[in-house]
Amino acid sequence: MELRKDRREFLKKGLLGTAALLTGASSFSLFDTEAWAENYPDMAIARGNDPAAITRSAVNALGGIKRFVKPGNRVVIKPNMSFGSKPGEGSNTNPQVVAEVARLCHEAGAVGVSVLDNVLHSPEDCLSMSGIPAACRKVPNTVVANVAARRLFSSVKVPHAREVSSMEVIKDVLEADVLIAVPVGKSHSSSGVSLSMKGMMGLIYDRGSFHTRYDLHNAIVDMVSLLKPHLVVIDGTRILSTGGPGGPGKVIPLNLVIASADMVAADAQMVALGTWYGRKFKPDQVRHIRIAAARKLGRSDLENLKVVNVSA
Amino acid sequence: MRFQRIIQTLSLATFLGLLLYAAHPYPDGLVTDFFLRLDPLIAVGTMVTVRGVLTDLLPAVVVILCALLVGRIFCGHICPMGTTIDLGESVLLSRKKAPSKASSYEATSRYRPLKYLLLAIILGAATLSVSLVYLASPISLITRLYGLSLYGAACLGADAALEAVAPLLSALGLRELAYLQVPQRAFAANLFVVALFAGILLAALVQPRFWCRNLCPAGAILAIFSRRPLIRRHVGESCTACRRCIRECPTGAIGDDPCTTVHSECIVCLRCQEICPENAISFFGARTGEKNLKPENPGRRAVVIAAGTGLLAGAMVRTGFGNTRRGNREHSYTGPTLIRPPGTMPEADFLSLCVRCGECVKACPTNTLQPVWLEAGLDGIFTPKLHTRWAACAVQCHACGEVCPTNAIRRLPLVEKNHAKIGTAWIVRQNCLVWEQDKKCLVCDEVCPYNAVSFQAVPDHKNAVPFVVENRCIGCGWCESKCPVQGSAAIRVNVIGEIRLASGSYRERAKEFGLVFRTKDNRIDKLAPGTFDNQSVSPAPKQDTGRPAEEKPNGGLPPGFIAE
Repeated sequence: MELRKDRREFLKKGLLGTAALLTGASSFSLFDTEAWAENYPDMAIARGNDPAAITRSAVNALGGIKRFVKPGNRVVIKPNMSFGSKPGEGSNTNPQVVAEVARLCHEAGAVGVSVLDNVLHSPEDCLSMSGIPAACRKVPNTVVANVAARRLFSSVKVPHAREVSSMEVIKDVLEADVLIAVPVGKSHSSSGVSLSMKGMMGLIYDRGSFHTRYDLHNAIVDMVSLLKPHLVVIDGTRILSTGGPGGPGKVIPLNLVIASADMVAADAQMVALGTWYGRKFKPDQVRHIRIAAARKLGRSDLENLKVVNVSA
Repeated sequence: MRFQRIIQTLSLATFLGLLLYAAHPYPDGLVTDFFLRLDPLIAVGTMVTVRGVLTDLLPAVVVILCALLVGRIFCGHICPMGTTIDLGESVLLSRKKAPSKASSYEATSRYRPLKYLLLAIILGAATLSVSLVYLASPISLITRLYGLSLYGAACLGADAALEAVAPLLSALGLRELAYLQVPQRAFAANLFVVALFAGILLAALVQPRFWCRNLCPAGAILAIFSRRPLIRRHVGESCTACRRCIRECPTGAIGDDPCTTVHSECIVCLRCQEICPENAISFFGARTGEKNLKPENPGRRAVVIAAGTGLLAGAMVRTGFGNTRRGNREHSYTGPTLIRPPGTMPEADFLSLCVRCGECVKACPTNTLQPVWLEAGLDGIFTPKLHTRWAACAVQCHACGEVCPTNAIRRLPLVEKNHAKIGTAWIVRQNCLVWEQDKKCLVCDEVCPYNAVSFQAVPDHKNAVPFVVENRCIGCGWCESKCPVQGSAAIRVNVIGEIRLASGSYRERAKEFGLVFRTKDNRIDKLAPGTFDNQSVSPAPKQDTGRPAEEKPNGGLPPGFIAE
């Protein structure tokens, strides 16, 4: 970490912050993200056997949760919990990873954390078998819910869309201050892989039309041009290498978590680290990742990114 | 609140609660069709129709025997139809009662025999094994009203209410409730159900509880047994003939001489006893100098004509198109899309048993079960069918069989139900995106829980085209309901190959016919996993896609990858 260059800045902020606290302006931010931005890594990869611990250290290595969540913020976390299957089957996000991200948000002062998905299987099964609500129960201010009722969605125009010019999105996502994607690394029978970008389809009312009416790959990119997560935490504790998105399929333990503010980079990294359908792929071999990078929604040129590796 | 009103409220609440719980997953230990089992007409009519004792319907026999003790107490306290009519009348009618001259039994006896004649017609038809019970069974009518018409509206209302109070729920820290999803249901023929009930309710403008006094054949059965019940109205000598009780009686059971009573019309609501200024009326205690009024009976001639009419109606139905059976033809005709729920009795037996209460339709979690209007003929009104374009039959559910009060749909274990073939899907090539336009579409194969759609390469087509493997297709309709073309689907379920067994094992019959029903993913249809016993079914034969591996598009990879 290059602290020296910013020591003066840091002291200035610190004094200002103290003064602000003393004068009661408690909402003043102690750490101004803009001033620090250039020093954050593009990505952090944490390896280890404790899913919660590697989640925390990946986010910390990226600059800490406070970089993304400010006190008083409302946060929406988008996990994968669309299938009535157990954590070991790999079609849903590891519940400990989701709960740890929620806990980090709470610690950063979020007033409300909503863990939302529009599930595919029976909602009761998805919620109970995924283990996500159980894991999040102890995290204060956190609600885990299946969002399927139409009243909870509102229609949004997609500027500069290639395929889908408008879509119905969960209102709470549109109103949230921070959107965090917490997908599991998994294969997908249509899109090849389903990671942070593909996973955002769980926030859409009529995701079926993405498959039937539009070119899926461009539709995904249109969607994430609108629903760009502020932070991506990919669960690579184990990946569903084949049989995705619902499984059953080959589950490979990787014991890692990827964190990045760049959804394209995070997805690209997961593609490169994993094995899919018995093969290795370059990120640009996944259509929607290639399109997203071409449309400048993020970077897939992993070799030029600043990646921090940590272990926990 | 008066005792009668308390009992009525509790009874209606229980009825509605049970109806709400008539759903998937079916709550063990609850008899959601309990009120239907109390209906004397359903019990008597159905047992005559099928010429046998149906043990599930024995509670109604208890109700009939109770009439010997306390008369038509069921009508005034338990019957949800009576309570609903009372509720409707309290809104519809003015509080001012008609004068006693116009309210006495004698003044209102004109239509009273109709209920007996209606009963005679229904029993006449029943002797020919034709069930007309559904036309006038009070519990069937009211179950239909609440289950098929008001339930859908209530779901709509609940959703709107949740939207309205969402900010409040969030403010109260009940954010989970704000996300609650109320299932939205649609029902065919629901307006006809409402119209029928509206007619019944509007008849109250002629006389209060017009239905109960004059038309209800279940009431007629109870009336026959309550000519002189043990507990009955008695007026003492202190009566000053103020005639207030005549005006207050909801069923006009009191004669022009207020000391007289027609017990078979009395619903034992005790209103007369409560309002009597002289406390002259009692239902218990000693009876001295009792004066009874002879009830208006239908003439013998009228009863014979009514029974004859019933016989004739029965004969018409039997020689109609939908109900033919032994003595006429080998099998009945059913329309090609009249897909009955799995485990439904053979059509003629089914029509004899089904009382058209609509519980199965209400209980269906996917909403595929719908009441038919005229598709099954005039005698098939309100019977259930699967609307496979609208929704599909869920693999893990057999709620329709669980809730059926007469076993017109057999109560089968899931593994049996999942061998009860209800039809076969076939592909309409002109509508199919792949066959007709050579576009890539795999939806029918993807959603089929039984792996019964196979995509094969054919000459002149770039894309593999769908075929139905008919011995794997059970007719559940997932393919038809999810087919992405608009309007009529390119893959439709037809009754071809349906199996209906009055008794015996569907699993064994399926084996005999060489049918192989095996789910490829027991969670496919959004319902509870683990309940379909995969081990207990015969294994599927090795699938031959008819397409060598090297011909697979994109080297066998999902289209999302660019193979290099």
